Amino acid sequence: MRPVAIVGIDCRFPGAPDPAAYWDMLMRSGDGVEKVPRQRWDARDFHSRTGAEGHSNTTEGGFISDPDAFDNDFFTVSPREAAAMDPQQRLLLQCAWRAVEDAGVAPHRLAGTDTGVFVGVMGNEWAHLHMTDYAKVTPQLGSGNGYCMTANRISYHLDLKGPSLAVDTACSSSLVAVHLACNALLAGECDTAIAAGVNVALTPALGIFYTQAGLSAPDGRCKPFSADADGIGRGEGVGAVVLRRLEDAIADGQPVYAVIRGTAVNQDGRSNGITAPNRWSQQDVLAAAYRRAGVEPSDVTFTEGHGTGTVLGDMIEIKALGHLHAGRSGRPLALGSVKGNIGHAEGAAGIAGLIKVALSLHHKTVPASRFAAKENPALKLAKQGIRLLKAPLRLRSGSTIGGLSSFGMGGTNAHAVLESAPPYAARPEATEPEPGRAGQSTGSTGLGTGVFTLTAPSTAALRRNLLVQADAMERRRVPAGPLCWSSNRTKTGHRYRFALPARDTGELATALRETAADDDLLARLVGNPTGKPQVALLFTGQGSQYPAMTARLYLQSPLYRRFLNEADEALAPHVGGSVRELLLSGDEAVHRTGWTQPALFAVEYALASSLTELGVPPALLLGHSVGEYAAAVLAEVFPLEQAARLIAARGALMEQLPEGGGMLAVRAAHTDLAELVDAEPLVGVGAVNGPKATVLSGDLAALGRIDDVLVRQGVRTRRLEVSHAFHSPLMEPMLDRFAALADETGGGIPKLPVYSTVRGRLLEAEPMDAKYWTEHISAPVLFGDAMARLLEAGPTHLVEVGPRPVLTGMARALRSAAGAGVHSVAPVPGEEADGRAFAEALAELFRSGLEPRWDAVYPQEERQPQRLATYAFSDAHRFWARTPVRSAPAADIGVAPERADAVPAQPWDQAAANGRGAVLSAVPSAVEDPVARAVIEAVAEVGGYANDEVSRLSLLYEDLGFDSVMIMELKDRLQDRLTGLEAMSVQDLLPRLSSVGDLADYLQDRVGSAVA
Amino acid sequence: MQSEQPREQASSPPGPAATVSYLAAVGTALPGDPVDNATLARTLGVNEEWIDVFIGTRTRHFARDLETGEVRWSLADLCARAAEQALTASGLAPHEIDFVVMGTATPDHLMPATVNHVADQLGLDQIPTYQLQSGCAGAVQALQLGHTLVTGGGHKAGLVIGGDVCSKHLDLDRDLSAAAPSDLVNYVLFGDGAGAAVITSEPRGQRLALSGVLNRFTGLGREPGQVIDWFGLADRHDDRQAIREDYKAIEESVPVMAVEILWELLEDLDWTPEQVDFLLPPQLSGRMTRRIAEELGLPDAVEVSCVADTGNNGNALPFLQLEALLQKIGVGQRALAIAVESSKWIKSGFALEKI
Repeated sequence: MRPVAIVGIDCRFPGAPDPAAYWDMLMRSGDGVEKVPRQRWDARDFHSRTGAEGHSNTTEGGFISDPDAFDNDFFTVSPREAAAMDPQQRLLLQCAWRAVEDAGVAPHRLAGTDTGVFVGVMGNEWAHLHMTDYAKVTPQLGSGNGYCMTANRISYHLDLKGPSLAVDTACSSSLVAVHLACNALLAGECDTAIAAGVNVALTPALGIFYTQAGLSAPDGRCKPFSADADGIGRGEGVGAVVLRRLEDAIADGQPVYAVIRGTAVNQDGRSNGITAPNRWSQQDVLAAAYRRAGVEPSDVTFTEGHGTGTVLGDMIEIKALGHLHAGRSGRPLALGSVKGNIGHAEGAAGIAGLIKVALSLHHKTVPASRFAAKENPALKLAKQGIRLLKAPLRLRSGSTIGGLSSFGMGGTNAHAVLESAPPYAARPEATEPEPGRAGQSTGSTGLGTGVFTLTAPSTAALRRNLLVQADAMERRRVPAGPLCWSSNRTKTGHRYRFALPARDTGELATALRETAADDDLLARLVGNPTGKPQVALLFTGQGSQYPAMTARLYLQSPLYRRFLNEADEALAPHVGGSVRELLLSGDEAVHRTGWTQPALFAVEYALASSLTELGVPPALLLGHSVGEYAAAVLAEVFPLEQAARLIAARGALMEQLPEGGGMLAVRAAHTDLAELVDAEPLVGVGAVNGPKATVLSGDLAALGRIDDVLVRQGVRTRRLEVSHAFHSPLMEPMLDRFAALADETGGGIPKLPVYSTVRGRLLEAEPMDAKYWTEHISAPVLFGDAMARLLEAGPTHLVEVGPRPVLTGMARALRSAAGAGVHSVAPVPGEEADGRAFAEALAELFRSGLEPRWDAVYPQEERQPQRLATYAFSDAHRFWARTPVRSAPAADIGVAPERADAVPAQPWDQAAANGRGAVLSAVPSAVEDPVARAVIEAVAEVGGYANDEVSRLSLLYEDLGFDSVMIMELKDRLQDRLTGLEAMSVQDLLPRLSSVGDLADYLQDRVGSAVA
Repeated sequence: MQSEQPREQASSPPGPAATVSYLAAVGTALPGDPVDNATLARTLGVNEEWIDVFIGTRTRHFARDLETGEVRWSLADLCARAAEQALTASGLAPHEIDFVVMGTATPDHLMPATVNHVADQLGLDQIPTYQLQSGCAGAVQALQLGHTLVTGGGHKAGLVIGGDVCSKHLDLDRDLSAAAPSDLVNYVLFGDGAGAAVITSEPRGQRLALSGVLNRFTGLGREPGQVIDWFGLADRHDDRQAIREDYKAIEESVPVMAVEILWELLEDLDWTPEQVDFLLPPQLSGRMTRRIAEELGLPDAVEVSCVADTGNNGNALPFLQLEALLQKIGVGQRALAIAVESSKWIKSGFALEKI
């Protein structure tokens, strides 16, 4: 058999609410068995020490905590439907979600795939309790019960299109489900499979049966292979694993817990009675599994036995194992069973064993088997080549093989052979950077800072999960880069988006806590976008430069480094030096225009290219004066090399012009200055940055004369520190030489929308050619006009592409007219800017709805999957039978959603503790209108919601989980309540059913004012 | 490779082992921002120029905040950070780590040993851990034990860690303006930090072959060159100096010992001085290290030192040097590292070859 990888795990077993706690309990040889919780049934009513008829000989068993908690809002299941669902379905749903997340996959990404679901289940006690009162059978009860629905509900809520089935072979159900899942994967029926098992004890029936059959341990504990073994103790559990074909898991870089090498299933056939175990069939199934796995018995280091702890069961199991292992070479087979810790979890027993074996191989340690220290001498283990796991067995380096048995009461036996994950399964081929040249090769990625992301369907859920992540980070140190990258991959898909740049895991954990505790901070770091952002890139002009601009970013970010190096190489032949060296050395020469222009060009080219690589699609472009060069390269006007040549010449030619020119910023409309400017032939309008923001450019003496006049008039002016009078008549002497070169470099029509500051508007199929660039030199910069036109196009974000934010500030003044609510983003906020600032800009865009190309944020070596804490569901909502089972006839058992917000969370369940007191996302609103009130009441009644959980804004399908059955009922109730309502068919109603408010408005029209 | 040939002198005391292990990756952790001499001089009231000229160390890092005296990082924090970095860079999964060996002179507690807190932070369990109590040679001792465990101990990979938090003894309340140079030195020489390497039985990651390790006690009958004391409930009010050093003895002996270590390693490996491409000399202080490197006389070898920038942070030093070495060394090139612990005169060193 081809190997199958276990890539994701989630579970809840007695004494262990999650996989980490399960492992911890196993390693401590912990005991999950306790008194029967009063919520289930009153154990005293059914207890008889002697096992009298109709009674059980024990009051204990292994019970999971919080079986009633279900985050129905998360899955948009109405409270009424949730209350009618078998808790096994509810537990499986949450468990499956978490297992998929644990596999490093955002569950949304599986939607629509052929992923299969295979659930082992043998208990149907909820149905026994709720389907027998025929008068109270509702449609919800129908879909809430039945084995098939355990699997089908996972497929439904995760939108999985592969095989979906429940398996009942009694106690071997969930290992048989794993067997079927592996076969389906290997047959190509599905590419991912979720195999699960579940068992929740709601009635004392099976305990009474075990007692009556002489199989029940008086202390409620299985003591596998022990001299004290005296029968079965019942256990519960829910567990799910995500399976992939090993080659697929490796190709996708998924971490692997362990590998399933072979599985086999057979039957006792006509044995000594239908419930009696059959040694020959057991040894056959072991041999078949070994054969399928291609291993010899002596290759198997340890085995997780079925180990129910009944005298006969243990004996037969040892004999079957002994048949294959007696006389094996090397050390005897190490044997144990988790049933000693949690009891016999029946339908979930197989998955409990599978998860234990997978974790053992993963942690390279097989836990000790509880009660093994006092082994049953009658089993003659040594003779059978077997030893019990009396202490944890540390596995040797390299590969280890472990087995797992699960036998059904009716004779269906299953065995699986597992092996350690291959050493490099955790990561794809690592490439080795050449020493000293790390990060300089083409294709380098990384900002120097990761971005941690988390999404959730509500802010309360987000807050709860921020704390869960912080807890996990503080428990165990993992590198920040891989952690962030993994969060980008698995924690996506929900409405509320949190993002925070992070370089150190400890700092990140602290920040997550602070955010969860601070509403203002939370509001700042969380977005709830309705669409995708429309990004305008604004390329900054001269004056924004400074020594060592973006040097820190360059040193920290291989991605930025790659593009700045590209620009540097393109410029080098034309500038007689290295722009990169200029920037890194902090040379003041950056203020000489011969350097300023190519340096700004290089910085802006590298910033824009980095943004593009990071998946920020530039919808609109605008460059202020020289800023247009990098914008033009991005718009594919000309290639980098030609632009570099042209900008280098532009700078050099300008620098050669005699100094003595200057620029004067004037707080006045350019039309008001026309008279003054016309009087000075050596002065022109250099830039029109806004309705009352004009820059004059030209001869210094002439500017001085104008300045004097303006100051006398009380107009505010400011001298700009420039070496030359750009965009003025003084540029005239360089135009011919520049035009000659521009003819060579050419330039085409921009392929992205460019708002030209030469034309003051969007370029419409106009080339940015030699003529354009020549005109660009002395023409005024019409920033105000171009920016106003750009804002009219409705961008959501203005991103400043330059060494400091300048244009976004100028745009703010223009915004009132058009584009209020536009956000400014500065990847380089100033002189201290580094990788973190750039990462923050990206985080901001993510919060606003952008789906970045996250891989570009991280260097290759950081793109390693790390398992994150999986989603913490709310336990605020509880659904349970109204009364526990009593020995009296259970006629009064009903179903009711129970709002147990005040139920104290278990102390070990941090997630639950943190989630308590969280505010529900329902929007309370005073509803005065009687029709609307009637609609809300009817909707609440049908859905089983409290009235204040339903508002006009609630969406019937998306928020309240309505289905067609509920719609039928809603229509009837509405007609009961609204007597003045005209006759109405469901067909009439269907198109009106988006939000409660829409429905109310529609009914308002049909009712007029006549309301009952 | 030379080192795989059986050694002729079977009866000689244990020198470099005859088999090879590999360093797959190195990680380091320095707490906070570097503290320059101006800042240190201002805080402690000592002369900045004196530090520059006589110590030659430019910057160092402290786990304790110089302004507030608050302890911001424990040794375990620093070591775990360095180890995590090494582990991530190595490409090994955490469960492939079979053991942790750590060398330090300044554990967070006498019990539990800091190495166990480090393992805890890294999520490692059910594996042997070792903590070697030693000064500058501790890192090499840890390397030697790691080397032994992967070459003959049935293990495939382990973490070797070294680190020290010397700022425990940085008494910020003391006025040092009138202190004697021998006292002052203790305040300006040291720094805090940690380093770690993943050691493997097969070449992986950086594929740096550890061809030999030397670790030898040579202090029979000699007075310690350095003593760091610790105090308990019964003697905490004793007026003993926490750190004492015999700088004369150190200045005299360390260069001589360094030369002897160099030649012992070379001869054991059958390497000529010309075959050594990189030299990692003892890192006492910026000034002493320069002097020793000159006396070692390997003109063709590139010196890899860090102490001038990191301060003397004890067992972190060899890892900081290794990290710098990894940026430079090419396939087929060789490096020699030398460390001397002047407390009770321990000679240590190791030889590397990138394959």
